[in-house]
Amino acid sequence: MTGWLDAHLVSMVDGVAYGLLLFTLAVGLSLVFGMMDVLNLAHGTLYLAGAYTAYALSDGSWLGLLVALLVGLLVGLAGGGLLAAAVAPLQGRGHLDQAALTLGIALIAAEVMAMFFGAEVLPTAPPGSLARSVSVLDHSYPLYRLVFIAVAGVLAVLVYLAFERSSVGALVRATVADRDMVRAMGVDTRKVLFGVFAFGAVLATVGGVLGAPIIAPGPGIDDRVLVLSLVVIVIGGLGSVRGALLGALLIGQVQTLGVALTPAFAPFLLFGAMLLVLVLRPQGLSSLGRA
Amino acid sequence: MTTRRTTYLLALTAASTLALGACGGGTLGGGGDEGGEEADGTIKIGLLVPQSGVYKSLGDDMRAGFEVYLEEHDNTLGGLEVEVVLADEGETAESGKAAADKLVKQDQVTVVTGVVSSAVMNGVVDLFETSKIPLVGSNASPTTLTDAEFIWRTSYVNDEPGEALGAYVAENVDGGVYFLAADYQAGKDEVSGFKKSFEPAGGETVDEVYTPFPATTNFQPFLANAKASGAEALFSFYAGGAAVEFVKQYDQFGLKGEIAHYSAGFLTEGGVLDGQGASAEGTFTAMNYNYDLDNELNASFVEAYVAKTDRNPTTYAMASYDAAKVLDLAIEAAGEADPEAINTAIGEISEIESPRGTWTWSEIGTPVQTWYLREVKEVDGTLTNVIIDELGELGG
Repeated sequence: MTGWLDAHLVSMVDGVAYGLLLFTLAVGLSLVFGMMDVLNLAHGTLYLAGAYTAYALSDGSWLGLLVALLVGLLVGLAGGGLLAAAVAPLQGRGHLDQAALTLGIALIAAEVMAMFFGAEVLPTAPPGSLARSVSVLDHSYPLYRLVFIAVAGVLAVLVYLAFERSSVGALVRATVADRDMVRAMGVDTRKVLFGVFAFGAVLATVGGVLGAPIIAPGPGIDDRVLVLSLVVIVIGGLGSVRGALLGALLIGQVQTLGVALTPAFAPFLLFGAMLLVLVLRPQGLSSLGRA
Repeated sequence: MTTRRTTYLLALTAASTLALGACGGGTLGGGGDEGGEEADGTIKIGLLVPQSGVYKSLGDDMRAGFEVYLEEHDNTLGGLEVEVVLADEGETAESGKAAADKLVKQDQVTVVTGVVSSAVMNGVVDLFETSKIPLVGSNASPTTLTDAEFIWRTSYVNDEPGEALGAYVAENVDGGVYFLAADYQAGKDEVSGFKKSFEPAGGETVDEVYTPFPATTNFQPFLANAKASGAEALFSFYAGGAAVEFVKQYDQFGLKGEIAHYSAGFLTEGGVLDGQGASAEGTFTAMNYNYDLDNELNASFVEAYVAKTDRNPTTYAMASYDAAKVLDLAIEAAGEADPEAINTAIGEISEIESPRGTWTWSEIGTPVQTWYLREVKEVDGTLTNVIIDELGELGG
């Protein structure tokens, strides 16, 4: 048992890092879909924009990272606002129109970014003092990923508390549950919707800035993280922060520990997990804790 | 109720986004279609290379290599004025096939060159064989392609970098070898090529694992298994973005310096090496060319290429330069822009002088050429591939 644990400990730690990264992406997508009924296929683009921001601005110093984070924040706000404004006229026109619009935006943005940053994957260096590996129980592990786990963990807890315990969070959850009722009570739900859209977008770009040293920016990365976050929210359940967290951590482990244990099945694990959840619990895992 | 329906919708979207991603590209590019008949003294040549997707940088190199040759020869090949019709191969077999179809049927080119992906190459064999248009490929060369009449390649057969290395590793590594390769045709070809010369020389295999392509960006679980296996050396196959990630993580998870890393040359070829940085140092690769080869033709090629692109030529650029050379000789011998005459003339070329050294056609229309062992070293402050040994001749 200890031998097994020793061999796979690094994979499990890495699964947590991966899972938390996915959480920053999936939570925005999940809330936007849950609340606004808007399928935003440009969500992966926001991650990529954040990651490219990190590549362009981080020079291995802490200041560089800070600047990148601030710019990433602004990019997220602008991107989220633009996307929310773009899909607003399509309210009630069904998912296909929204999907077509956001996919179109994603394709255009991808081409524009490819024009500026080229076709190569651009590995992004973390701040110099974190750019080394440390020994975790005799296994070499990148220090940056450990720090990332801490930072993203705090971020996840904050987001969770904000949505589940604060009054703003209650408003958002109420909008997810019954938009018309909230509107009938005199709340301008459009403001809530814009706010959530922008918030989700900011989380995705900040995730991109912080995640660039883990999933480096390059053409096609937007699609890949979009697919991962869609799977996460299918598994976790819609419109729930808890679900996104559960789903993300689960997919993190499936993609690391699962792959280490059964490398031959690696291509099937991701969608296998999704299929299993769909069969056993079509409403997603988040309903576990609900009455 | 609605939640359940939307969940299915999401699941469906996740799956179809994958498919959509796979269909992207392929429709861009192409040239003006005046539809006119070709005038006397000109020849239409299709250049089928990726201008989008993960292979774009290879496509850029191949285009530049071809253009360098044209610029050196006043935009003529074999005395005919060249009109290059560019088509975007994209990323997948579908996009590549569509672009090839357009070149042959709509643009009515006389010959085609390029093709990065083996999947595309497999997909277009019938098109070129039935329309009797020669394809002088300058990269993709699957092992299964052995009896085509109209398809030539100036690169190398997919399994040759592995085959060149296998015996060397068996003799120079004291212990077992772990295999880690991208899960597609080229990855499997490379590993089986390696084993073709590795096993007869007494090499010992620890394990053989294939990573999903292109989905894998995190190699940690695979590297953890490799590290725990007790292997002395690792043979890998990765190209493009995956190569950058793989080499960086090989360093981050502590395998660099502990397990010697051998690979097919494209792991550290071209732009990817800049991305890998110091992590790549000490990686051994096999390749049929390196820009530091010492011969006169290579010196002038490197000079012209650097002047044009500001970077050193890769094997992709060199193979494309050679494709132009092959066409130059063949069109000259055929004397006219006739596909079948040119195809016959290509086969009759006895030897081709190239920046890699002089080579000849093998029986299956690929080069018989010398292979080199390279190591990534720091030279004058920049990381670069340096030839450290010869691995003998293959392809005969």
